Amino acid sequence: MNGREWSLLIACILAIIVFSVASPYYATSGNAGTVLRNSIELLLVGLGMMLLLAMGGIDVSVGVVMGLAAIGVGRALGAGVDPVLTALVGPLTGALLGLLTAAVIVLGRVPAIVGTLGLFGVYRTAIFVLLGGQWLSGLPTGLTVLLGTTILGLPVAAWVIALAYLAVWIALRRTPFGLHLLAIGNSEEKARLSGIPVVKVRFATFIVSGALTGLAATFYVANYRNVEMTVGSTLALDAIAAVVLGGTSILGGKCSLVGTVLGVLLLRILQNGLLLTGVPSLWQPVVTGGLLIGVLGFEVLSNRLSLSRLGWASK
Amino acid sequence: MTAPFLVARGIAKRFGALTALSDVDLEIRSGEVLALLGDNGAGKSTFIKILAGAHPASDGELIIEGVPVAFSSPKDAASAGIATIFQELALSENLSISENVFLGRELKRSVLGVPFLRRADMRQRVDGLLKELDAHISDPEAPVGSLSGGQRQAVAICRALNLNARLVIMDEPTAALAVAETRKVLALTRRLAERGCAVVLISHNISEVFEVADRIVVFRRGRKVAERLRTETNPEEIVAFITGAHPDVRALEKAN
Repeated sequence: MNGREWSLLIACILAIIVFSVASPYYATSGNAGTVLRNSIELLLVGLGMMLLLAMGGIDVSVGVVMGLAAIGVGRALGAGVDPVLTALVGPLTGALLGLLTAAVIVLGRVPAIVGTLGLFGVYRTAIFVLLGGQWLSGLPTGLTVLLGTTILGLPVAAWVIALAYLAVWIALRRTPFGLHLLAIGNSEEKARLSGIPVVKVRFATFIVSGALTGLAATFYVANYRNVEMTVGSTLALDAIAAVVLGGTSILGGKCSLVGTVLGVLLLRILQNGLLLTGVPSLWQPVVTGGLLIGVLGFEVLSNRLSLSRLGWASK
Repeated sequence: MTAPFLVARGIAKRFGALTALSDVDLEIRSGEVLALLGDNGAGKSTFIKILAGAHPASDGELIIEGVPVAFSSPKDAASAGIATIFQELALSENLSISENVFLGRELKRSVLGVPFLRRADMRQRVDGLLKELDAHISDPEAPVGSLSGGQRQAVAICRALNLNARLVIMDEPTAALAVAETRKVLALTRRLAERGCAVVLISHNISEVFEVADRIVVFRRGRKVAERLRTETNPEEIVAFITGAHPDVRALEKAN
């Protein structure tokens, strides 16, 4: 663990201590479970977002991608499809949408932030149309095994998340894919000159991130058993904030898996604690956004982010 | 004299209405340092980008050891034995030396279909190359971002050697270097040629060129205007070719 990761761990512990003192409802095993359950989607979406940011990409449409995948999972669940297949609808839908995103951004040569913002608009409307203005609610309990069942003392969700992180760790640190992704994040042009299959790596990363976001949708439906119209509206902000808090560079070329986990936990601990100490949930995005801006500001000031790379250098 | 490693014939490059290169004939030989000189915009960079597979030529042909070739990507050129060390060095500052040397052509072993990196083997090979080049870099795991300009050149040269390059193109390798580092890079350049590589050196620095090059070619306004053995020319003549003051260039430019 590096300095950033230790600071995050200490911040998590401090936050827990402060909230425990401030609210009698905070330090209970029930609430710890709530925080962890609320972290499931963000841990998965954050993992994909970490890969995208490390590659110099971004996806601001993750919330609506999760929404669309959740509608797919919810519909399959409602129709009584086999639970295993139902669970797979999420990652498959997500991977397909990731492929579409990659096609727009990589083949269309659109900057990732612009392309995914455009797709965000399209998908948001698609959710309204698919839901016909109504919540998908009162879904059957076919997927609750994912959260309720334990294997060797850990819930299925924990195993799935651990496996996802392990797979990404291997891909990043032990295979050429990781080097290629980080090289593209450093400079796409240099990566191309080095003979890296840039298009292939970018497609793969968007598809993997989509699949992780879709997997999050499966857990979302298992957890809440409904899909509302505004599903995932703060997910992109939460994911980007958590990943950047965790030490992944917003400009690409550098990422941290441990940092991503700690960033997600810190965000969810803060959001839960503020709620329990009586701060309306309306204020949560303010806190998240403030943290994101704060961290980036701090990095600029401490020169970790070079001003010239952000295009702010005086010419 | 040995047969040339690479022959370029009638190479031209047009970007829309702009002609960056026209009708360039050039032979590049193994074991020889060939210097390309010319003013800004003379076409040197365009020419080496064609050799490196980064741009396709609009006209003309490239022949490697008697066989015509067509490059559609830098990868094609690399597999034909051409390695280019670009001015801006295509190194990834966030990756280590050994990762950079192998980037795009990593050593790997397949376990259940997953290509795992053979990091220990890569490190060992890079260690050997760094020693051979006498590059004074002790740790192949250091990030390239922490190295000096000269050390980065050494890493780029290692990368070229590791690709078994037969032709190494160096684009202004000393442009951003201090004096001592420049000396080292020039020594590396000679060592590459002594190993049997063909070396193409692009430079603005005439004294440097006279120090390391065997043959000197001058580009001007997209054309090759002169080719001289170093032993048969002098800096004054070369400068005259570059600026267009030489009578041969004047005659040529009047003719066109």
